[in-house]
Amino acid sequence: MEQSIVAFLERILPDATSIVVEDFQQIAGGFSRETFKCDARVTRSGKEEVMPLILRKDPPDVEAILHTDRSVEHHLIESLRLRTTIPVSQSYGFEMDPKPFGQPAMIIERASGSGQTSALFNGGADEDQAESVIKHLCEVLVELHKCPINKIDPNGELTDPLHRGTKVDSWDSFMDSTIEFFERSYTTFNFDPILMIALDAVYTLRRNKPRPMPLAVVHGDFNPANFLYENGQVSALIDWEVSRVGDPREDLGWMVLMDVISNSHVMDYPKKEGGFLSYYNKLTGNDITPEELGYFTLFGTMQIAVPVQQFVSRRVNKEYMLLLPLYVAQSSMGAFPAMAQLMGYAGVSA
Amino acid sequence: MMTNPTLDDLLEGLIVSLENEIMPHVGSPKAYTMCQMVQSLIQEVRQAMPVYDTYIAQEHNQMTQVLRDVAAALGDTTGPEADRIRTRATTLGTKADVPMPADQEPIRAAHQELGYALQDCITDLDVLQRAGNTRADTALQSIRAHLLPRIVRDVATLTMAGGMAGRG
Repeated sequence: MEQSIVAFLERILPDATSIVVEDFQQIAGGFSRETFKCDARVTRSGKEEVMPLILRKDPPDVEAILHTDRSVEHHLIESLRLRTTIPVSQSYGFEMDPKPFGQPAMIIERASGSGQTSALFNGGADEDQAESVIKHLCEVLVELHKCPINKIDPNGELTDPLHRGTKVDSWDSFMDSTIEFFERSYTTFNFDPILMIALDAVYTLRRNKPRPMPLAVVHGDFNPANFLYENGQVSALIDWEVSRVGDPREDLGWMVLMDVISNSHVMDYPKKEGGFLSYYNKLTGNDITPEELGYFTLFGTMQIAVPVQQFVSRRVNKEYMLLLPLYVAQSSMGAFPAMAQLMGYAGVSA
Repeated sequence: MMTNPTLDDLLEGLIVSLENEIMPHVGSPKAYTMCQMVQSLIQEVRQAMPVYDTYIAQEHNQMTQVLRDVAAALGDTTGPEADRIRTRATTLGTKADVPMPADQEPIRAAHQELGYALQDCITDLDVLQRAGNTRADTALQSIRAHLLPRIVRDVATLTMAGGMAGRG
């Protein structure tokens, strides 16, 4: 693998006279890609520099939670880096040919900052930074949502990158085509009848669509584990693989749910601004209501629940024997009471 | 409770994961052997779980009979030892037989069939709801009222608090 990284870097840094890859190791990273880190010692024009790198590699197709495209992710990250002030790690490029790395892969800058976001909450070591970090996180999200779609995505790669049949010619067609995708996907993951709560969610979403809102590029997996921070600021918003055009309320709603599952408190900050939603509304003027937030928590849950439960379903059917899907099944169960609450099941406390 | 995956599926998953995902990365021979021991103990649980309650009940009922048989075999033997044996036969040995646990397989199959029937009701109710049938709204609440305590109990029984491993 190290040799493949060297060959990759030689291609993008043709003036390098020496490239040595050191400290190559796999890291926990997210659940959807295999993630490795290393340092590349690069000599150019007689001067040596150290490039901290992350290699994100697709898992084998059958084991993938999400079938996403490294080239789309690369183009998006670079577009954000060059056209906005949203903090992202530079993407050095991608390799779609599976030969060098075993699967398609991309190499990005390893951004500085801590990814241990749990330290910001519940009396953690960095709780004193929570107010400023989350305030900045909200500002970053607002910049993403306010940026014109064609500025970030001039080639339309984010229209339907997950090939779900999503239409984005209007807010209604986006919502309808997405809910249709949820409905037709249900039979691919109802390995146990308790998942009928997801079916109830699909129908509930269709019966109760909220007011329209202009579509935007959404992060798509805006959760407490997908940012790095240092010195009271977000140093990078990471893991852009499911970014696409959508309703901006999706990112907020997904964060609400992941806050619950992750035992974090992003939505409670910045406290001086009355919390994340209040500050977001102040910056955007969108006046998103708690009811709309609830709707998009359910909607965002289904956006992720479909591929995640399909991943679990394939494991339950023994198409592969990884441990992760069984763990994901356990840890995602915590979403069920939250979904019940959002649908108004009687007697569910907040 | 979920009927799929089964508890046995989960235990099998632990053994396979140790074999394929953990042991290849274990450098220490001692730790490697410990992994093999863990696999063996998990396999013990897999083998015992389906028969454990049945065997315990069977053995309970057999032991009361044995206590009575032992006392009967002594006939009119005298002495403190024989007296103690007869006492055990008339106390512990007269405990009522415990019922044998029901075979769980058909119960789980029926449970799953009923669950999918409720799922299909949700689909039919949605059609009625969208046609403006308000009774369907009420009917859906009956299913939800059943589901809610189940999922709350499942979460309390099956999940761990404290966030997701490997997610910051």
